This record gives sequence, C-alpha cells and structure tokens, in this order.
Amino acid sequence: MELICPAGTPATLRAAVVAGADAVYCGFRNETNARNFPGLNFSTAELAEGVRFAHDHGKKVLVAINTFAQPGRVDLWHKAVDEAAQCGADAVIAADLAVLDHAANCHPGLRLHLSVQAAASTPEAVKFYVDAFRVRRVVLPRVLSVQEIAALNRMIDVETEAFVFGGLCVMVEGRCYLSSYATGKSPNLSGVCSPPEHVTYEDDAEGTAARLAGFTIDRYAQSQPTGYPTLCKGRFTAGGKTSYLFEDPVSLNAGGVLAGLKAAGVTALKIEGRQRGKAYVTEVVRAFRRAVDAVEAGGDAAEIDRILAGMSEGGRQTEGAYKKTWR
Amino acid sequence: MPRIALTLGPVFFHWPADRLADFYRRIADQAAVDRVHVGEVVCGKRMPFSDSIWPEVIERLERGGKEVVLSTLAAPATVRERRAVNDWCSEGRLVEINDVTAIPARSGQAFVIGPFVNVYNESTARFFAARGARTICPPVELSLDAIGSIARNCSDVDFEIFAFGRLPLALSGRCYHARLNNLHKDSCQFTCEQDPDGLAVDTIGGQEFLAVNGVQTLSNQVQAFCPTPEDLRAQGIRRLRLSPHTADMVAVAEAYRGLLDGAQSPASTRFALSCLDLPGGMVDGYLSGKPGFHSEGQST
Amino acid sequence: MADEQRDGSLPLARILFPKIGALPLGTLLTKALRDLAKRQPNLFDRLGEHKSACFFVDPTDLSFAFLVVPDGERSLVRVVGKSETSSAAVFISGPILMLLGLLDGSLDGDALFFRRIVSIGGRTEAVLALRNAIDDAELRPADLLGLHGALGRLADNAILGSLRAARRLACRGLDQGERS
Repeated sequence: MELICPAGTPATLRAAVVAGADAVYCGFRNETNARNFPGLNFSTAELAEGVRFAHDHGKKVLVAINTFAQPGRVDLWHKAVDEAAQCGADAVIAADLAVLDHAANCHPGLRLHLSVQAAASTPEAVKFYVDAFRVRRVVLPRVLSVQEIAALNRMIDVETEAFVFGGLCVMVEGRCYLSSYATGKSPNLSGVCSPPEHVTYEDDAEGTAARLAGFTIDRYAQSQPTGYPTLCKGRFTAGGKTSYLFEDPVSLNAGGVLAGLKAAGVTALKIEGRQRGKAYVTEVVRAFRRAVDAVEAGGDAAEIDRILAGMSEGGRQTEGAYKKTWR
Repeated sequence: MPRIALTLGPVFFHWPADRLADFYRRIADQAAVDRVHVGEVVCGKRMPFSDSIWPEVIERLERGGKEVVLSTLAAPATVRERRAVNDWCSEGRLVEINDVTAIPARSGQAFVIGPFVNVYNESTARFFAARGARTICPPVELSLDAIGSIARNCSDVDFEIFAFGRLPLALSGRCYHARLNNLHKDSCQFTCEQDPDGLAVDTIGGQEFLAVNGVQTLSNQVQAFCPTPEDLRAQGIRRLRLSPHTADMVAVAEAYRGLLDGAQSPASTRFALSCLDLPGGMVDGYLSGKPGFHSEGQST
Repeated sequence: MADEQRDGSLPLARILFPKIGALPLGTLLTKALRDLAKRQPNLFDRLGEHKSACFFVDPTDLSFAFLVVPDGERSLVRVVGKSETSSAAVFISGPILMLLGLLDGSLDGDALFFRRIVSIGGRTEAVLALRNAIDDAELRPADLLGLHGALGRLADNAILGSLRAARRLACRGLDQGERS
C-alpha cells in the first residue's frame, strides 16, 4: 500500500519525503484547494520545485484542486489544473465536475483522483466518475466501515485510497454547510471549514470559551486541553442533554485496522493534515511508514496507537467509521 | 412576463404514514404549488413506513393538478437503498436526483437535480443539462448572485431556489437521534419520529443554532427568502422551493404565491410567514452572500 | 534604556542572544529580522496581509515581552512590559523554550496549543499565517543573530543543543505535572 502524506509548505513536502512518504499531496495558495488557510500552500514555482525534489527521491506529488469552482471564475480552477500538469504533478485530486471535465478533456495523460469531497461511496457513483472522466483512484469518504470498503472494492474496477490518520469529518464530505451557516465560509465555497478569522478564545470565570462567529462551540477549564472550534466537534444542548452531539473532539487513527484495509483491497493510505506543521508531519509519517512496512511484511500495527497518541487534537483518537459501532 | 412557479420539496422528517397521507391530501386540494416532491430523502431505514402510501398520494396530487416528482435518497448506502434509487429512476415520472449514484440509471431521461448535489458553477450545470437535467435546485449555501450567474449561462434549465424551511446543512453516516438516546443506528427505534420539525440544537451559551433529524443536520432557523418577482427574473430564476414543516404549508404557499404575483410586498409576506407556527426565527443570509443565519430581510 | 535594564536581569536571554551586551535586545532583533528579510524576502510573503499586524509575544517565564511587526525590511521588534498590549492585534504566550522550539520548527505548534502550553488571542488567522510562514522558513538561531558560515554553524549547534537539553527537562516537568 502507498503512503500518501500532507504538505502545506515546501519545507513540509521535503520533510514528508524524507520521513518516508510514497507520495505527497499539496495545493495552490488560493481557493482552489480545501486547505485555504493563511500562510499555507504553494506558488506555481514552489510546486515545480517540490515536484523536482520528490521525483529526485523517487516519490510522487499529487495536487489537490478539490474545491468547487465559483460561477464566472471557473477559469481559475482550469488554470490550476493546467499549472499542476505543467509542473509535472503525478495526479490531480478533484471533486468538481467542472474541474474533472477540464482535466479529462485537456490533459488526457494526467492521472485523476476523485477527492473525498465528492463523497463517492456507492459502486454506481464510482462508476459514474470512472466512465465520465477516466478517474483512476477514488479517495473514500470517511463514513465507510472496513467491511463496506471491501464490498465496494469487489464491485468497482478502480484504485481506492483511505484516510488513516488526522482530522475526522463526521459529516458526508463535500456536502456540509455548517461552516458557512455560521461564518459565510465553507469547504466548498472557500476551501476552509470553521475559518480562523472567526475563531476567538475568551477567558472568563468558568475557563476558556472557544467561539466561532459568536457561537460558543466549547468551553474548557483552565487545566484542560483545548481544541479548535470546529463546528461538528463542539458541545451542544439538545433534548435537555449537553454533549458532543456530532463527534467527540477526537482525531482519526486507523493504525489498528491497516491490515484490514489491506485485506479490503485498498491501494493507498492517506494522512490528513496539510494545515499542520512539519514537526507533526514528520513524526506521523515516520510512524506510519514503520506501521505500513510492518503490515506489508505480515506483522501487526498495534503499537501505533501508543506511538501517535500525543500528536492529535485533545490527545484522543478513534478508529471512526472503520468500526461499525461508530454510528 | 414568465410566471415564477412554486415547488413543494420533499418532507425531510419522519412523519407517520397517516400524517404524510393527510398532509398530501390537503396539499393536493388546497396548496397553490405547481410541483410536489414525494419520497424519502434523508434515511433509507424510514422507507418501509411510507412506501405503501405513495401510489395513492401521487394519484391524488396529479388529480389536484400538481406535477409530481419522485425524490431519491441523498446518501444511499445499502443494497436495498441503492435498489430503491434505481427503481424510482426507472419510473416514467420526473425524478429528483440527490446523489450521483442515480445518474447512470437516469442519464438521458429528464430529471431534477436536488440541493444535495454539488452544482456550484455553470460548467457543472451544463454537464447535467446535457444528460437530462430540467430543473436544478443548487446547494443552499450559494448566493442569489451566484445562482443567477449560473442560471444565465444555462438557460435551458429551470433554476430553483430553496426559499422556505429549515436549511439542510449536512448529512452523516451517523444518526444523531440514535446517538442522543444512546442507541446504535442499526437499532435506532426511530426516535426521530418524536421531532416532526427536527430537534433543536442550542450552543452551550444558550443560542439557538441547529436542528437534527436522524442523520441530517439542519439550521434551527427557518429560511424565509422573500424576494420581489423582478429580483428573481433579473437573475433568471424560474422556481422557488418550499420545504415542508408542521406549520400550515397551505398558508406558506399562499403567502409566496401572493409575493410572486406581485400582490404582496416582501415585507408583508415576511410578516404573514412570521405569524405562522414556525420552528425557529426567520433567516435569509445565504442569498445575499452572508452567513446563512443572518437575516437581511428583517432589517430592511 | 528600559531594554537594557531588563536585559541585565536575565541570564537566559544572554545565553540565547550573545550580542546583547553591545545592543539593546529590541534593536538587535529588529536588525536581525530586517537582515533576514534582505536575505530571504520570500519568507515574509506567506504572511500576506498579516505582515503589518502587531504581534505581542509573551514568554511567560521572562519578565518582559516582545511587540513584533514582521513586515519584511520594515520589521520592528520592541521589548516591552507585560502590560503594554494596547497596540497589539495578536497575542502569543508560553514558556520561552517552547516559543523558540516553534521558531526552529522542532516543536508542533498545534500540539503545544491544544495542550495549553502555548496560548493565543486576538486575530487567530494572523497567528496561523505566522505559524505557517515560520514553519516553512526553516529558521536557525544563526539566522536571527545575523551570523554566517562557520560561526553561524557553531552558534546553531551550541544554541540548539542547549535548547534541546533544556526542553527535555522542561517537558519532563510538564508531563509529571499532568500526571499528578
């Protein structure tokens, strides 16, 4: 199985390659990619240089152009595809039909991966993207169990890629507007979820309140670890109960199901976190390199939970939907 | 001047079969809507409860002069759910596609693209138009200017705006009614039935914010977009969608018909809506490019 | 003058910034940042609109704080008292060893933040832009001191080595604190 690792900056790309990535994914510094955070991402020149560095080390670069093109500005997304191709990218990761269609028509030699933002989880949906755009790999939504992935892989004739570590979307990706409801910006519209310019942390007598656009998303006692106020990871009150209604503030660690994913026919394993620093990426990639090598050699990956526990938000981890009890 | 049509969207909530049948009987006889969507969109597990009523509901609606659209699941997953999508796609009637799963089965025949499918630009709209899309109701987070820009570049399709009802904001593999009641999704006991407009979700600061409906998350507030008919025509919009709630939907339809016919002003329409028993405050921020929970209309 | 007074009382700052005797700390860091901007102008591009923001950087274990405007060759660093926050748009505070670990990229800012070792306030997006710019810059202590060649390498090794040792001790203290 290939290990696909995130890079928000050229320095992180190099760090990921050195730490053992088989491929690095990254995006341009604009709204064409779903990690459009301040100070992050690549200029065209930086991408070209990054591709050279990766290829010199025998590794690949995948370019995420995975937001939805805005009306009247589709050219910006087309241009991103053209530049990725010119830079020598090994594949483009896309979700929008406008982007997929342009890539398939204008760059027939360029490999296309279907972004998780397209949330293709049925054989019919996968078949649609393969037939219409010759998609070569589908990044699987994070709502499928290992058994469901195995069943899907038996019915489709295309590579699949599964997330194994990092932030966990609890909603169907690419179809969640919670962020724009509160802030006006969302993954699909602007490439950001719960954008930082709407985030405030305020200390009061009860501790620290994390707010997004004025909505209190969570509250922490002074001694407690905090989290980023991502809407779906907040505490809310419903039916008289206050709880982490949508998802606890945990991050995904599928280290324990790597062997299961391999048996399910998954081609590539993806680490989330283009917004994270190179210290984080280096540590996670190194650990997963060891785990994947162990799995490929027939061993098990039980150790990995302990190795990675310190790096996640709030320190807690889950195997998410890969175990069906998550629902 | 072309008349702007009204569509009644599918019921998002788990209403008992009797309630659904009564609701559609009244819509058939009294509601000033041109088109009515039927079918379960949110949760495949609910389908066995309503499956048996649809033939009679459809017949009754058509007798009442309404065009019927069969709405398909927004996130089909199981074999049974996928088969249900395929079955409705092979019907003669107009079908609403809410997931690309339905495209291979329906391509080449007429369909409606629902708000759960990502149509964000004119290229995507034209792609679907070439395969049979007649109406497109774009995702709720798009502004009126954005939708207008797409509509003007894809004139062979009717563009429809989600004008009334709690906004469908997200879908999940996880059921929040089950999670809240410490139940597993596979044995959920259908507790979502207790909340016929969805269950309010407040922040820990006490602000009204969202609502849950099984695997679906909606806004707590009710979209109440009240444009002038001229605003809509200028943007090439031909339809408004009203999303069913327990509030008097015949009255909602009447208020919107008055608005679109120029008989009522936006302000008086908003006032008429605010007098109904709505599950939350009224908002329309998305249409003006603002956060969805903003309410432009009320400030003017 | 305030600078010198505070500097004089701080042996740690003397170790970290050996030129301190010759120049007040704020002036020294301003010059270092501007020199850095001359050598690596791209480094400041990532900050975008946030390069004109005023960052209040508060090392919690030192008796003073910094006001930093990271605006390329117009950068400004002032050593200020803990309460001189009125002109700042962004607030970052934490133990000096941890803040320096963020600077050289050896520590993960998110992990430090979530564990409340480093805290932030004000314009979150500007903090994020700064974090990302620094993370890509691969700064060495010598870059900030304006040292080059063999002398620079010597300074890096000495400072990074003692930082690592000090941080190991500090982290052990934190972990023990968490367990208790």
